[in-house]
Amino acid sequence: MNLFGMMQLSGSALLAERARAELSASNLANAETTRTVQGGPYRRQNVVFAADHPLTPGFAATLASFTDWHAEGVRIAAVVEDTSPPLRRFDPGHPDADATGYVDLPNVNPVEESVNLMEAARSYQMNVSAIQSVKAMIQSAIGLAA
Amino acid sequence: MSVMDTAQLHLLERFLDLATVRQSLLVGNIANVDTPGYRTQDINFHSEFEMALAQNPDVPVLPIARQVPGLLARPDGNNVSVDREGLLLAELQLKYQAATTAMKSEFALVQYAIREGS
Repeated sequence: MNLFGMMQLSGSALLAERARAELSASNLANAETTRTVQGGPYRRQNVVFAADHPLTPGFAATLASFTDWHAEGVRIAAVVEDTSPPLRRFDPGHPDADATGYVDLPNVNPVEESVNLMEAARSYQMNVSAIQSVKAMIQSAIGLAA
Repeated sequence: MSVMDTAQLHLLERFLDLATVRQSLLVGNIANVDTPGYRTQDINFHSEFEMALAQNPDVPVLPIARQVPGLLARPDGNNVSVDREGLLLAELQLKYQAATTAMKSEFALVQYAIREGS
């Protein structure tokens, strides 16, 4: 892999972390949503990350597989719904309350989401500094020609 | 041995090649800091460098990436240490700059000869 490929690789992590932060923000925004298209309350969404070889299938990937090292990027393997049961709150006046007066609320825990958001932001920063380091290397390689 | 094919240049070239490989592995480790089950990968820089110097200069370097032992794994099976990667990244960047600077001064010598010492 050349130096520019590494920027792509860190870029894949930036995309993944951004998606994670977006989902977290969406979860927080919908913490009180009781109506969705699928019916029922909103359900907490979560990303699943998977290590991914950055080369597209083909000659280059096959050749790289003969050498023993491959750095791996990251991709979003899936976006999954949290299957834990909805939170129930007693609120008979709520339009979506059932016969017993309880409302099904999203299974979103604001504290958990905030921590998740912070984690995503820190990982994003870490990858940005990795890109900066690669950039410095590219620049010093370019400096050879000057 | 021509003026552009010195032992020093060869050494520096090998060093930069290996540094690039290592950098890509470090960057890959950082990218996968949140991937469940991912294991930290690295090369043994010193032994790979010695091996690369011993072999024919025309053969490209093909270092072997290994999983790094002795790192604490999280419950999800991931054992990437942000501290380790960040430290090595900074170290490698400086080493890379040192090598390119040394290479530059090698070229400066050639240029000095081209200008007939003026």
